[in-house]
Amino acid sequence: MQGSRAAQFDLYKLYAKAMYNVALRILNYEEEAEDVLQESFLDAFTRIVDFRQETTFGLWLKQIVINKSINYLRKRKMEFVSTDEVSEVPDEISFDDYDIRLQVEEVRKAITELPDGYRVVLSLYLLEGYDHEEISHILKISENTSRTQYMRAKKKLKSILELKGMRDE
Amino acid sequence: MNNRLETFVKENRRSFDMMEPSPALWAKIEQKLDQKKEKKPVKLYLWMSVAAAIVVVFSLGWFYAGKMQSGEIEIADVNTVYAKKEVQFAGLIVEKKDSLAIFAAANPELYKKFTADLRKLDEEYERLKNELPASPNQTFVVKAMVKNREIQLQLLKQQLLIINQVDDYKKVNQI
Repeated sequence: MQGSRAAQFDLYKLYAKAMYNVALRILNYEEEAEDVLQESFLDAFTRIVDFRQETTFGLWLKQIVINKSINYLRKRKMEFVSTDEVSEVPDEISFDDYDIRLQVEEVRKAITELPDGYRVVLSLYLLEGYDHEEISHILKISENTSRTQYMRAKKKLKSILELKGMRDE
Repeated sequence: MNNRLETFVKENRRSFDMMEPSPALWAKIEQKLDQKKEKKPVKLYLWMSVAAAIVVVFSLGWFYAGKMQSGEIEIADVNTVYAKKEVQFAGLIVEKKDSLAIFAAANPELYKKFTADLRKLDEEYERLKNELPASPNQTFVVKAMVKNREIQLQLLKQQLLIINQVDDYKKVNQI
């Protein structure tokens, strides 16, 4: 009933990379992300009977990965309570001159430099495509907190990129 | 608020998935899956043996209980004197019951009451009889059984007397 090993490997090949990146964006540590990935696939394979065709396997697996990642992060005692550490960033910076050549890699690197709370909300919203209502359920925070956290995260991200000279001359 | 950064990220989401898990990871997962697979039959085996043990215990209990019930002890096995008495009483009881039955048609209500009283005693007798094989003091139980028969007989005698009188009275009044 568990499905053949070959089929499991096919699923792994199909989803491992994307899921690994999801976990890595939340956790920021490769080792932990691999642990989460391993646990998630094991969970998914053993619980595949529970999987109902309401969503795709990918979305179901992604939920498992995200939940596990958040739990790992919680163990590190992350705080989602807003802080004002971003206040030193001037509000009036215009990013109009952001170049279209903005490199994915640099943004990705900048995201990894965000504090845990910011990074998680920003990743879930921008990269995993959840809305604030969904994020509030995933992280068990209010929708409003998710929103403000995201705004601050975005601000902070921009300031990091600016410091790196990402602005067009 | 400027959203260029936002748009850029959203439009290039897939490009952000650039990191790769270590190639050894699948081997680890496979190993864990194998462990789980090995565990399962062991578990099933355990449950099956537990179930089998329960079945064995219950059937043994059933068997012994059945043996006890079928191994009925007669009064004669305990005490021959009492047994003789019991047989004697039982015979007389049957006789008296027959006599009483004659009056049944004429006095249905009274007969009903009488037989109900007798039934109670009879039930008590059956209870004692069932108790007998397991009883630690069988002589005591046998004594009670014989006593029960005696009371039944006395009751029947009294009932016959009463029913006779009632019948007589009715006949006198009819004339």
